[in-house]
Amino acid sequence: MIRAELIAPFEYQLVDEHQPLAARVFADATLIEAIMRDHSLQQLANVRALPGVYGDVYGMPDMHEGYGFPVGGVAATELPDGAISPGGIGFDINCGVRLMTSNLDRASFAPLRERIVHDISRTIPSGYGRGGRLALDDDALCRVLGSGCRELVTHLGFGIAEDLEVIESGGALEGADPTAVSVRALARGRDQLGTLGGGNHFVEVGAVDTIFDADAAHVLGLRADQITLIVHTGSRGLGHQVCSDYLALMDTAQARYGITLPDRQLACAPLSSPEGQRYFAAMRAAANFAFANRQLISHRVRAVFERHAHSPLRLVYDVGHNTAKLERHAGRELCVHRKGATRAFGPANPELPARYRRVGQPVFIPGSMGTASYVLLGTDAAEARSLASVCHGAGRVLSRGAAKRQVTGHALRKELEARGITVRCPSNAELAEEAPEAYKDIDRVVDVVVGAGLARKVARLVPLGVVKG
Amino acid sequence: MASHAFEQHTGEVKVRLAAKNLGELFTEAARALSDLLGVGTEEPPSPWERITLTARDHEALLVGWLNELVARAEIDGRLVRDAMIHDLTSTRLDASIRGVPFRETRTAVKAATFHGLRITPDPHGVSATVILDV
Repeated sequence: MIRAELIAPFEYQLVDEHQPLAARVFADATLIEAIMRDHSLQQLANVRALPGVYGDVYGMPDMHEGYGFPVGGVAATELPDGAISPGGIGFDINCGVRLMTSNLDRASFAPLRERIVHDISRTIPSGYGRGGRLALDDDALCRVLGSGCRELVTHLGFGIAEDLEVIESGGALEGADPTAVSVRALARGRDQLGTLGGGNHFVEVGAVDTIFDADAAHVLGLRADQITLIVHTGSRGLGHQVCSDYLALMDTAQARYGITLPDRQLACAPLSSPEGQRYFAAMRAAANFAFANRQLISHRVRAVFERHAHSPLRLVYDVGHNTAKLERHAGRELCVHRKGATRAFGPANPELPARYRRVGQPVFIPGSMGTASYVLLGTDAAEARSLASVCHGAGRVLSRGAAKRQVTGHALRKELEARGITVRCPSNAELAEEAPEAYKDIDRVVDVVVGAGLARKVARLVPLGVVKG
Repeated sequence: MASHAFEQHTGEVKVRLAAKNLGELFTEAARALSDLLGVGTEEPPSPWERITLTARDHEALLVGWLNELVARAEIDGRLVRDAMIHDLTSTRLDASIRGVPFRETRTAVKAATFHGLRITPDPHGVSATVILDV
């Protein structure tokens, strides 16, 4: 039986019987109690079995039970022979969040709210199986997989050059190989660029409610009362298929490398192996597709804001939370798996865009439907304490079925409307699945990452309109 | 009589499957997935299509089978309601499927997972629990 012992403020160590494990969870007493209700501690403990795992594995305060890795889990393996595990990234490769700002404030947005939210919902296809309006042929799709947002901005005109400066890795992971992506994955992704998909994905129009750090907010271009836009989505069916394809491959191949694991969903191969290299190249191609997906959605939402409000939207930053990346920590070359966890580099990291080098990497933590979201900055301390990682959201606490038994979508919709939040969602049932009651308290989750020194607060955003996937 | 039931899981969907034999377990898995994905139209189904899958054991075949149906539903826009298992060994599945267009979509299923998956014999036949990423 795995349990968690408090070892420092907001930091728990996992213990098996009386044996301390190299696994830590950032939480407070309330969150750790919620986390212990499902199997996520055992899942985090299992992650230590990955070959070549380096140091501790980490659970974020929004952690909950997943499959293989818990959602909100971070683990690094050491190069060259440490493993790469598709399950440690997840099916929705490079699912992530981007924040944009407008030049509108709440008062000027209020009369436009219904029109703008409605137009976004008509412009951005959402929900299961919805294709987009941009059908790419194989050549064009492969160029997107190879160079991500660069292809969209430079050759297809979807965005401006300045956008590329403020997307993680410039919106294009190097080493992506479209030929490592299967024909079926290409078929699933062909018409999905510019679509939200289902689940907890969304486009949210919000407003800056609180500024915690005026200097940092200024650097990020945020001001009180400003209208903002968050896009949360990933690599759609293309990424799901890449993960499925390579899980099946590694499930078979790992025996050749003498790898045995406590959970088959952790299937892996040495990163230096042909299987590991090919998956990593395919994963990076899918990650580029996700960057491009958020870029195209942003481009179309920009047109909506231009149409109704003559307001440009400026990209603050775009960062993924389901990835594996090669990073240097403590002088070691590591493959850092983040599944439902956000990279959060401090100011000292050379990979940051020039404009953020003084303050640190922007991190966006969306709350649940109708609750606040946070803009944070990574700290240098996070590198040593969590491999420069923080949470990715509030984190589920109720199953979808339990959420629907507690809340009806109809009642939730009415409650949100009464609070001045316009909602567009394919169905009331899907809305109920994402009810605030189904998630942990976002304010508490953020207080933990800040209290643990992993990030610092810049601003709190409140929702005004949500288009749910 | 084969059956399926959806059980609690914090983040995903857990499906409990039970059947008299392995072949029925696989057809029941297809029915469970179909119930989750949506509702089909009343149109006549598409012609039967033959599928052959290979994997290292029954569990991997079940994951591969479900993922095959997830991908086809997304690419073809068809909900597979009918499945026939022609042959099922420990490493190979030979089946036919046919489907109808979606009238209504429900849960977006990304993939089936191996997590905690074991096909086990029981007094009534065989059972399995599969977690689907949604």
